[in-house]
Amino acid sequence: MKYGRVVKWLGVLILLLSMPWRLGWSGEQLGFPEKEELTFGFIKLTDMAPIAIAYEKGYFEDEGLYVTVEAQANWKVLLDGVIDGRLDGAHMLAGQPLAATIGFGTEAHIITPFSMDLNGNGITVSNEIWKQMKANIPKRKDGKPVHPIKADALKPVVEKYKSEGKPFNMGMVFPVSTHNYELRYWLAAGGLHPGFYAPKKGDISGQIDADVLLSVTPPPQMPATLEAGTIYGYCVGEPWNQQAVFKGIGVPVITDYEIWKDNPEKVFGITAEFAEKYPNTTIRIVRALIRAAIWLDENNNANRPEAVKILSQSNYVGADYEVIANSMTGTFEYEKGDKRAVPDFNVFFRYHATYPFYSDAVWYLTQMRRWGQIPEHKTDDWYHQVANKVYRPDIYSKAAQSLIDEGLASKKDFPDFATEDGFKPPQSEFIDGIVFDGTKPNAYIEKFPIGLKAKQSL
Amino acid sequence: MNTLLQISDMGMVFPTPKGAFVALEHVNLTIQQGEFVSLIGHSGCGKSTVLNVVAGLYQATSGGVILNGKEVQQPGPDRAVVFQNHSLLPWLTAYENVELAVKQVFSKTGEHSKTKTEMKEWIEHNLKLVHMDHAMHKRPNEISGGMKQRVGIARALSMQPDILLMDEPFGALDALTRAHMQDSLMEIQQELNNTVIMITHDVDEAVLLSDRIVMMTNGPAATIGSILDVPLARPRDRLALSRDAEYNHLRSDVLKFLYEKQRKVENLNAPVNKCDQGENANHAA
Amino acid sequence: MDRQVSLALMQDDELLPKWVDTVKRWGVLFLSTVAGPVVGIMAFLLMWSVAAQNIQTSLGQFPGPSDVWTQVKNLQAEHIAERQKADAFYQRQEERNQARLQVDPDYKPKIRAYTGKETFLDQIFTSLKTVMSGFIVAALIAIPLGIAIGLSRGLYQSVNPIIQVFKPVSPLAWLPIVTMVVSAVYVTPEPLVSKSYLVSMFTVTLCCLWPMVVNTAVGVASIDEDLVNVSKVLRLPALKHVQKIVLPASIPMIFTGMRLSLGVAWMVLIAAEMLAQNPGLGKFVWDEFQNGSSDSLGRIMAAILTIGLIGFLLDRGMLQLQRWLSWDKSSAER
Ligand SMILES: Nc1ncnc2c1ncn2[C@@H]1O[C@H](COP(=O)(O)OP(=O)(O)O)[C@@H](O)[C@H]1O
Ligand SMILES: [Mg+2]
Repeated sequence: MKYGRVVKWLGVLILLLSMPWRLGWSGEQLGFPEKEELTFGFIKLTDMAPIAIAYEKGYFEDEGLYVTVEAQANWKVLLDGVIDGRLDGAHMLAGQPLAATIGFGTEAHIITPFSMDLNGNGITVSNEIWKQMKANIPKRKDGKPVHPIKADALKPVVEKYKSEGKPFNMGMVFPVSTHNYELRYWLAAGGLHPGFYAPKKGDISGQIDADVLLSVTPPPQMPATLEAGTIYGYCVGEPWNQQAVFKGIGVPVITDYEIWKDNPEKVFGITAEFAEKYPNTTIRIVRALIRAAIWLDENNNANRPEAVKILSQSNYVGADYEVIANSMTGTFEYEKGDKRAVPDFNVFFRYHATYPFYSDAVWYLTQMRRWGQIPEHKTDDWYHQVANKVYRPDIYSKAAQSLIDEGLASKKDFPDFATEDGFKPPQSEFIDGIVFDGTKPNAYIEKFPIGLKAKQSL
Repeated sequence: MNTLLQISDMGMVFPTPKGAFVALEHVNLTIQQGEFVSLIGHSGCGKSTVLNVVAGLYQATSGGVILNGKEVQQPGPDRAVVFQNHSLLPWLTAYENVELAVKQVFSKTGEHSKTKTEMKEWIEHNLKLVHMDHAMHKRPNEISGGMKQRVGIARALSMQPDILLMDEPFGALDALTRAHMQDSLMEIQQELNNTVIMITHDVDEAVLLSDRIVMMTNGPAATIGSILDVPLARPRDRLALSRDAEYNHLRSDVLKFLYEKQRKVENLNAPVNKCDQGENANHAA
Repeated sequence: MDRQVSLALMQDDELLPKWVDTVKRWGVLFLSTVAGPVVGIMAFLLMWSVAAQNIQTSLGQFPGPSDVWTQVKNLQAEHIAERQKADAFYQRQEERNQARLQVDPDYKPKIRAYTGKETFLDQIFTSLKTVMSGFIVAALIAIPLGIAIGLSRGLYQSVNPIIQVFKPVSPLAWLPIVTMVVSAVYVTPEPLVSKSYLVSMFTVTLCCLWPMVVNTAVGVASIDEDLVNVSKVLRLPALKHVQKIVLPASIPMIFTGMRLSLGVAWMVLIAAEMLAQNPGLGKFVWDEFQNGSSDSLGRIMAAILTIGLIGFLLDRGMLQLQRWLSWDKSSAER
């Protein structure tokens, strides 16, 4: 935890230095928002729920914020919207603020003061691929496949396609999406190479040396693209895995909960400039989102059916109630009829889900390095500095503390802000059992059999 | 009588994709105040060109036109034109068509200005003159061809021009209507005694209406072949004249000119040397 | 006619055929103006519902006429519900402003527009507004430009190649550039209208521009030579020449261009809204497609019918305007 401590002191130092512009410590009255009319973007996925709930439950209005919530066509449009100011903030892929800040893709300083959820994604393959995979999966006594299903089962299928000269295509939603890294993690854990990026050579297709060719498709179009046969499978957030089951066009084989238990997923992204210009607004946004997250997980997910109803409105996710409910209410349907309990498939607040941990940022950066999106070796310090620049627990803490002070949240549900250093203890619940310690990113990168080594460049 | 208009040594060369085309050469004509002159000749010989130069719509390439002692440079309401195809503005009523001209000519301050009511009276007066007062507020597409031509004449007359230029004004009308129009025109002439140049290729019309008939040779390089005086007494009556020996004599003179001296022979290869001449004339001008 | 009928009833053999004839004539008129279209529409609905029953999509059965009608009613109900939510929103805002004034007397209360979702009706209105404003902007540019080009041979020759090259370009190809330029140029802290509205509007403008310029120019250039000569003889000043001769003479062609471009503009706008996710009917269709709910196809069909109906009404409207403004009634038929 040595690095963690260093980072923490660094953070405190920065905070002290920037005191004049930033809001005072807790206890001081939170001021009125500087900017009251806001537009937030989202992609039609169930994990945008905190935004919808904060709107529908009036949490934004309670903060004096008048928010318009707008669906975006794809992740790129959404990110550009935040960068060029058309959007004040958005539901983002965790990788997006990091990639933008380090300049992979459009360069801009985006920060995240709030993590939106844990888990919530799945990998789905077409019926045709499932038929072939199924032969390689051990069965339980009741005849159903043993979970988690590893990519080992997919490997012979991919090899068959390769030997027949057919490219094996799969879809993910964005180059720096959680889905890209999760799909890659799962494939690589099963011995399938998902391909390298080489931005220095101008290759951003991410298909160098690939066994499986990954390409970008916006989430809501995944089922249609699978149905059209353009891709054989995809990794996407809900409800687009359950949609495949309902439409009878594909079978989800694994959830990201099984790939990495309680993995951080979406974040709420704003520009650093916005946070600096409108500090009260920023804190108030986070307050509203925290309250929405609390509501979503309250009383053991008791509010989920109501949340599903809201999400199924055409201006939010818009899919049928049953489709969204399938994953939001504690279950997940794999093969048609194979519905299993996954109570933590969507976590919005429990397990400190909304706290922006530096270690989460570091994990995404390690994956960017692993697959070549970060083309060159970086020091452990660099990883921590980027995390520090993008993830802003300082803002989160102020918002949470003020909620606690007002009795709108209880202290026990949050990390102890006085001692929390932003690094989760080493995590081992990955599908391949490799342990992640956010304080030692380079050592972590070295552990993967498939992927660039710490000092390797393409 | 004094000279109103003088055309002196007028020549016209048109540039065409195939080279310069000499349409007119050495056209000389003097017209007295109050004279009615008709231009007759085969189609395509250059009658309209002469008229257009007088109107100022074309610029002669050599020679020129002097009206009232001043050289004609551009079109103007002192040389009102009645076109073959009436050329009324289809979106305006008969009244409004005349009004457009009257307003343009008489609304300027000066000796010729008219007040609003004077203008209205003047417009109605001119329409009455051509017997169109009953259909003043009809649009061109609601009246017959003859009526349109009447309105066209009314519009030209309303400008109080020094000279009235008419390019086959009745060419597109049926014989009966044409006769009516000719009678009307004679009636108006009796009253106003305008100076008129009228193009026609109708021999009877020419003899009936004119004081002089200017007969043109065939083009290219057309010019005036001969001029025939028509000393018939006015007012003229078409029925009486048809039995009149002099009338018939004049008529056959014109016919002879057209169908013996200037028989139209279609020449497919335009004479090249004429074109060269035209080019030279062009440079000279 | 009454007399004829009563006479006929008096069994006047002579008049009977006449009476029958009248009935026949009315019958034919009825058949051609009312019965014809009704039969056509009925047949279409029948074929549609039969076909719908036989098409299975992954979103369920293809919606038939009755499903679409249900969705139309749903959309209307949603609209009403949303309006009620809006009213509540304004009331809450009022109260909140009051409460803030208590603690913060310097605060200048402000009423913000409703932030909720745009209903189908709102989207229709947005699209209409966009297409009309884009169209008017195009007309304001294209008609004077077309007149200038039509009047001046030199200008025609210098502008013509540009027009010929740009005319066949789909305005959708311009969309990214329009988007970027609007974003770059239109920067105000308190925007009067949204960027996306401007982007859609300019796309429509670009789309309308060329047909209008070309038709106006052709209309102006092909004015009867005699009419131009009339103007010359009268020595009409340039402006009066345009006003009294050129404009009225080219009105039929200008309208032809306007109708043509409005028709294309409406189609392009829908596509542009789909592509750029700009508010309007196109976005509605795309959102519903993305939602992939079991109602989506029915809602999309409702939108398609609406788009068609509006396109038809726009064309009729232009025709009516042309009838009203143009002297040449024959050019405004069909
Ligand atoms: N603008 C022009 N350019 C070229 N040639 C012309 C032009 N106007 C007339 N011409 C030619 O000049 C000749 C005389 O024409 P025109 O005066 O119209 O004959 P008319 O009126 O006697 O029938 C014709 O051969 C015609 O083709
Ligand atoms: Mg002629």
